[in-house]
Amino acid sequence: MEVETSSERGVSSSAAAPPPQLPPPGPPAKKKRALPGMPDPDAEVIALSPKTLMATNRFVCEICSKGFQRDQNLQLHRRGHNLPWKLRQRSGKEVRKRVYVCPEPTCVHHDRSRALGDLTGIKKHFCRKHGEKKWKCEKCAKKYAVQSDWKAHAKTCGSREYRCDCGTLFSRRDSFITHRAFCDALAEDAKARAPPAEDGTSAAGAPLALPPPPQQAPLLAAPVPLQQLPPPPAPAPAPQQEDNQEREIVAAPDPVVQYTPPAPAQMMQSPPSVNGANVSASTSSVSANSQSLLGSMFAPSSVAQAPQYHPERAKPAPLCLATDASSSLFSAPASADRQQHLAPPPSPSPHMSATALLQKAAQMGATSSSSSFLRGLGLDVSSSSQASTSSGQPQQLHGHQGGAMQVPFSDGLQWPPRMEPEPAPMMSAGLGLALPYDSTGGPAGFPELIMGQSSMFSGKPATVDFLGLGMSPTGATASRGFSVFMQPMGGAVGMAGSGTGAAETFGAARGTQSKPWERNPSSSPIL
Amino acid sequence: MMQFTHAAVTAPPLHPNGAHGLGLGLFLDVGAPRARPWPAGGFASTPPPLQTSSKISLGNLNSAGCMEQLLVHCANAIEANDATLTQQILWVLNNIAPADGDSNQRLTAAFLCALVTRASRTGACKAVTAAVAAAVESAALHVHRFTAVELASFVDLTPWHRFGYMAANAAILDAVEGFPVVHVVDLSTTHCMQIPTLIDMLASRAEGPPILRLTVADVASCSSAPPPVLDMSYDELGAKLVNFARSRNVSMDFRVVPTSPVDAFSSLVDQLRVQQLVLDGTEALVFNCHMLLHTVPDETAGSVSLAQSVSLRTMLLKSLRALEPALVVVAEEDADFTAGDVVGRLRAAFNFMWIPYDAVDTFLPKGSEQRRWYEAEVGWKVENVLAQEGVDRVERQEDRTRWGQRMRGAGFRPVAFGEEAAGEVRTMLNEHAAGWGMKREDDDLMLTWKGHNVVFASAWAPS
Repeated sequence: MEVETSSERGVSSSAAAPPPQLPPPGPPAKKKRALPGMPDPDAEVIALSPKTLMATNRFVCEICSKGFQRDQNLQLHRRGHNLPWKLRQRSGKEVRKRVYVCPEPTCVHHDRSRALGDLTGIKKHFCRKHGEKKWKCEKCAKKYAVQSDWKAHAKTCGSREYRCDCGTLFSRRDSFITHRAFCDALAEDAKARAPPAEDGTSAAGAPLALPPPPQQAPLLAAPVPLQQLPPPPAPAPAPQQEDNQEREIVAAPDPVVQYTPPAPAQMMQSPPSVNGANVSASTSSVSANSQSLLGSMFAPSSVAQAPQYHPERAKPAPLCLATDASSSLFSAPASADRQQHLAPPPSPSPHMSATALLQKAAQMGATSSSSSFLRGLGLDVSSSSQASTSSGQPQQLHGHQGGAMQVPFSDGLQWPPRMEPEPAPMMSAGLGLALPYDSTGGPAGFPELIMGQSSMFSGKPATVDFLGLGMSPTGATASRGFSVFMQPMGGAVGMAGSGTGAAETFGAARGTQSKPWERNPSSSPIL
Repeated sequence: MMQFTHAAVTAPPLHPNGAHGLGLGLFLDVGAPRARPWPAGGFASTPPPLQTSSKISLGNLNSAGCMEQLLVHCANAIEANDATLTQQILWVLNNIAPADGDSNQRLTAAFLCALVTRASRTGACKAVTAAVAAAVESAALHVHRFTAVELASFVDLTPWHRFGYMAANAAILDAVEGFPVVHVVDLSTTHCMQIPTLIDMLASRAEGPPILRLTVADVASCSSAPPPVLDMSYDELGAKLVNFARSRNVSMDFRVVPTSPVDAFSSLVDQLRVQQLVLDGTEALVFNCHMLLHTVPDETAGSVSLAQSVSLRTMLLKSLRALEPALVVVAEEDADFTAGDVVGRLRAAFNFMWIPYDAVDTFLPKGSEQRRWYEAEVGWKVENVLAQEGVDRVERQEDRTRWGQRMRGAGFRPVAFGEEAAGEVRTMLNEHAAGWGMKREDDDLMLTWKGHNVVFASAWAPS
């Protein structure tokens, strides 16, 4: 940016230069200083050396060696010694405005056009930005290079500020509360506070939380051959607990925290093929999925509303074992028991009785994710896919987080399994897979984003048929079919790369692979 | 920032039969048959030889008013499939509105991106974008994925959201007084960022906290889900909320319903209908609608309406009414982006979207990444308004009056906000930059920036 040489301000003929910045508007600007840069073109530009800028007391009294920042002050002091003194008068002629540049060559204010108009300003700037921070607040250990900054901070430091356990300070209570609700520090705190006997299951849950991760390791190698398909690069470590969490609202995400260390380690160990990594993720998630699937079908009572967590937990386990017979991956009982602490809200009456739900379920046929899956189980599945985009996304199984089993619609629509290729973006997103079946454009290339290798899918016949369900490679069904398995696998992919053990990544991982049919792109982190 | 209105600006029209100075010292040969002063194909090539004409010193008309006119002409050119003119104007815009300039320039740059995206989809203009693509990128690429904690601090950068949250929480608290169970259905774009403060307020209720049921509408899987984007599953988010509620001795139950504005959230409505069958009068149902209702197609989205006679938006409001809620809170941006023609929408958007750019200037330094996120989101909205059509265009805001008519038509009556609520909002606004203010309009509260209407908050009960 060139300094305008003409004294007339205005747009020059060069189209390339942006127009000069307008002066800030009038009131009500809040203590707004003039924006730096673009000073008066007539101003004299002065470049002082760092030494000069930083010098504090340049003017020294010869008698008592007292230092002063300004010559005028020294002169006044000299009066006290009865020394001759002379105050310089303000020069009568028009004072030429002076602007100062920062001596630091890499600084933006080193440029003559970005000079600052005030000597004190440039001193402070240089000191703040390029100087040593010598002033330290005692309360919060924050360091400052400029004394006035330090003083200003000291006035407000600690006074009526809200402090989160993670160390962040807030001046407003609502910001503090909002932050605190989502901050991991709360999880830690809750863990410490959580009473162990909320319901008998919690105790069971916690210790069992740990064993599963070690179990995962040996399983890593085993399922590799089973997993032909590259998993979606979705989320993060240890989706297992996410899986369990999602089914009910979990009060204390403790296992989340505990899972972090083992999971990424496992991921790292796994062979370069992502398959291995997926497995551990897949295990619990798949098992959980199966649990939920089966749960929804066969244990409608468990499916009921939010409050009914307890009955749910026991049932799925044996069922899970039954169906997942083929795979040694599933540590079903463990995963079932890995259900974590359940939030124990007092239960309002369920919205629909168990019997009613069961009837509805039988009548509707398909559950969310895979009609093929259920077909494999001998259940009748009417072609549900065409159900309508309008009936929306399946909420069936995901509903567990509130425990709310998605209640089948009273109007006779089948549970809207998210089969519809139309909401392909949603589906693939929910799957976390970039299954490229006839989705019209999908969510702005999101599948590619997520997957990065959608070609893989198109290339393969996509028939990794774990349970012998006889899935066809075409259309939604197929994708749906192995989505059940892909999802969990996919979930793990991102893990190896992302080191962040925070709950967020867990959540994301869980999100993608917990319920293939439900989750959305936003839940899978971008690699 | 200079404030501009429609009427005040009369920028020189671009006549096809003559070069015309725009006060920029540039000449724009509009539609002239003679050779263009610059190579036809290259957009980023050497600038045209500058000819001095009588320089019209437009002073500060150089900024907003002129830019708006240029954008309007560009939009017209795109609609007319005039690739040449489009290219010319885009070139000019690209040069006078750098993406790192002042608030007007950044605003214009965002519109420029949106127009480029639009041009890339229309007939003759597709070629334009190849050349321009280097300079501009689709806004959609830059939208940040937030962690929960990031989002928590992000929504408090400006009162844009917090204003609605506060007003809503106050109204909700009033409306659910005496109910032991409160069911809040959250139809908002900010992923439950309002909920912790709501929990906090419910926890401190004089009569003791209620049982809180939270149902969240999850639209993130839609093709055009409005930002912000949350980089966390709702499951986990819900877990954190329940955890937090527990720490405040509030029993909470959380569920997520994936749904889509395309069908007026029918999946959500259906689920609620079933649940409402078994109510015993102890539960208060509250709809908390922040910036999401406007994504449901209205009458102008003709092709996506199920029935021509009634729009999805109307249907949705009627469905909500049928569920007999205790309260419906509607917080929306006070702007009208429903014009059928691009130019109309462009003007409306240009005269509204300057606000976020102006506001962010006052408190976030240029290099800050939060500022980038913020402006990326605004850019997304602008692009959605201008460049998308049909189902993908979800930014179909209507103004306060129109929403009021809709709500009344659906069988609601307004519920005024108390003085205490208004006072709290004002206190909150004081903590933000001085340009933010608040006023009452009828029974609603209106957030203002430098006196201009920004976001309104209204509360409704069945009439």
